[in-house]
Amino acid sequence: MEQNQMKANAVSMMTAVNLSEMKISRNPAETLVAFSIGSGIGVTVFDPVSSVGGLFNFMLPDSTQASGVNSEKVPLMFADTGVPFFVQALFEQGIQLDRMKVVIAGGAQFMDQTGMFNIGEKNYGALKNGLASYDIKIHHEDIGGTDSRKLSLEIGSGSSCIKIFGQAEVKV
Amino acid sequence: MTDLKDMVEQIDQLEPVPPIAAQILALTEDPDSSLAEISDLILNDPALTANLLKICNSAFFSLPRQVESVRDAISLMGLDQIVEIVLFNGLSASFKKKMVGYGLGERELWRHAVSSAHVAGILADRFGASQNKQLIYTAALVKDIGKLILGRFVAFSYEQINILVQSQGQSFNDAEHEIIGMNHEELGALVGKKWNFSDKMIYIIRHHHLSDESARQDLETALVYLADIICMMMGICTGADGLSYRFYGDVLNEMNMSEHDLQGIIAEAGKNQQQVEMLLNL
Repeated sequence: MEQNQMKANAVSMMTAVNLSEMKISRNPAETLVAFSIGSGIGVTVFDPVSSVGGLFNFMLPDSTQASGVNSEKVPLMFADTGVPFFVQALFEQGIQLDRMKVVIAGGAQFMDQTGMFNIGEKNYGALKNGLASYDIKIHHEDIGGTDSRKLSLEIGSGSSCIKIFGQAEVKV
Repeated sequence: MTDLKDMVEQIDQLEPVPPIAAQILALTEDPDSSLAEISDLILNDPALTANLLKICNSAFFSLPRQVESVRDAISLMGLDQIVEIVLFNGLSASFKKKMVGYGLGERELWRHAVSSAHVAGILADRFGASQNKQLIYTAALVKDIGKLILGRFVAFSYEQINILVQSQGQSFNDAEHEIIGMNHEELGALVGKKWNFSDKMIYIIRHHHLSDESARQDLETALVYLADIICMMMGICTGADGLSYRFYGDVLNEMNMSEHDLQGIIAEAGKNQQQVEMLLNL
């Protein structure tokens, strides 16, 4: 009881989730934030029953395409290696598949960035494939366009927020 | 439209690059200059010398022994590294300021600048001519210098600029030019001129978004453009302008840069980002 009271009184705490990182938390005072997402994609997952949530922020679609970088050392840089790594870590924290609320944001592209150099679009495709292989559904997405985005997850409420400069924050 | 004269007058109010940084830059672009000339130049500035020695001896570089003189520092760390430190020393105060118009907090433009320079260095090693690496690195560091002044005008006109970007598909820099009368490339070139940057450096600042077709043929400008693009894709301190710039796939094709290469460079930059963060605090 005393501990819960302390948690409720604690000043809310922002934890940055940088590129190629993930964070998982069960602290209701904590908010996980990916501050600036470009062509990469941020993924939030929350389980309302266990009250555990996580944020994963990746940068590239395919670890086999990036020569010179050992994906075993940086699995969270890529969608293909990062999704299994993140999902496994969520399972270990007691999150269950059928209770997952998933929000994704990012995948921006430049004007005229079509075809093979369109990394934002490829990231989106790779992420969807990765999540589909676990049968994980996306509840809300804000993908593409030329905007950079901020994505956050409040562990206390389970809400995800997407913010684009000059626009109102979208809370889901 | 904004009073352009008023804007240009503000160049004088910017904290200028110390003349010594500009002189050193000129010397490094000159193939005939000697190490002794450069170390003499630094020695003439006691504050810079003291700061340089302090930085060289910091834990970040973890050198095998204490550096005791400027010449010692140059021979141990290499001239490129010393020039970088001198430039950082001269530029960081201005670049670390908060920039409301571009939606950037304190130090964010500096982080973007240093990250771009780092990526430009990787690109120069792989795709550039080796003698131009310092130029490409430095140009990437200073390319957005126009934003230091234009920011407050962008803040005032952001909604109008954004309408052109969103509804007419104009790039952010074209929209800046149309609404304010000048964009951050043009204003940056004026600042570079005032600060006696080399003609080539001014050219790169002026064209780093490659709107001008002839600039796409210029390898050094194209590499600085790509470094900028890569940092924006990585979301490194992208602000109000987001990714609202044009992408020129032909520029990559002409350099024989494949999709594989591009992703490899992004991955390498991402891997080094922690080290870049440490550089920011020097």
